Amino acid sequence: MQTKPNPGLFKRNPPIAGEAEAIERAKEGDPDAFSKLYALHKRRVYTLCLRMLGNVSEAEDMTQEAFLHLFRKLGSFRGESAFSTWLHRLTVNLVLMHLRKKGLNLVSLEETINPSEDDAPKRDFGSRDQQLAGSVDRVTLERAVSSLPPGYRMVFVLHDVEGFEHNEIASMLECSTGNSKSQLHKARLKLRELLRNPEQLAVPASGKEGV
Amino acid sequence: MSDPAALNESTENFDNMTAAEFEERLPDLFGIGHGKVSEDPRFANFLKSNPDCAALVRDLETIAETAAKLFEPAEDQEPADSVWNNIASKLKDESASLDEPNGLIE
Repeated sequence: MQTKPNPGLFKRNPPIAGEAEAIERAKEGDPDAFSKLYALHKRRVYTLCLRMLGNVSEAEDMTQEAFLHLFRKLGSFRGESAFSTWLHRLTVNLVLMHLRKKGLNLVSLEETINPSEDDAPKRDFGSRDQQLAGSVDRVTLERAVSSLPPGYRMVFVLHDVEGFEHNEIASMLECSTGNSKSQLHKARLKLRELLRNPEQLAVPASGKEGV
Repeated sequence: MSDPAALNESTENFDNMTAAEFEERLPDLFGIGHGKVSEDPRFANFLKSNPDCAALVRDLETIAETAAKLFEPAEDQEPADSVWNNIASKLKDESASLDEPNGLIE
């Protein structure tokens, strides 16, 4: 997998104490070092899978696949980007491959994962009386994100949560950067609508019941 | 959709833009530069005279800022212990097959 330095993502993913040493030892086959890498990154990888898939069981399966894949590919990590950025890109590609196998065609975002008219954001960007109070708590936003149609959710998570650029998302989803940008904007509009009408939000995730 | 780079460097006067034109340009406006649309002096007059657009911008910026904070997972969000057990078991099996004398080359 090709990586290139991205100062923005290095800033967002500062090196973790002991990580570099664990990577080098894991490359040499040290099982304890690999276990440490798992401990350091399991929550982020799992959460990424969960947000993309919206299902605890599938998210755990993909977390497992991601770390098995990591073990086999670790030798190709050259440190040209933050390790977590590299690992997250690997995870995203695996999840997308999984979704394609399941039949979710991501090739054409417009045609296949564009939401129905009911799910699309309404064009009512006025109405000051319904504007957000000025802040959104993370639990409420998580619920709103999990209520998004899959296409919107995917682009929103990759861009606004994970910090990928539109050209990277376009490459991963095999769509144009314009399409990625447009989907992100629609996702944010839909989130605004959901946050202003919390009765539309998904039931809160609890334990292993799914998101 | 307009060219984001051109938009980024534009010295165009946005004061008399209509709300519809602003809405059409929003996806690109949020994708350019490093500052906030709400703090970009080029849009100050427009947003001042279009409070609904200003509210929309503020809301979308709030959503994006809060989303960035979701990057760090909540404390209780982690995979079941069985996930690591399965990984460890599969890695052990893979290592064992590689260690077998005839495991790789017949």
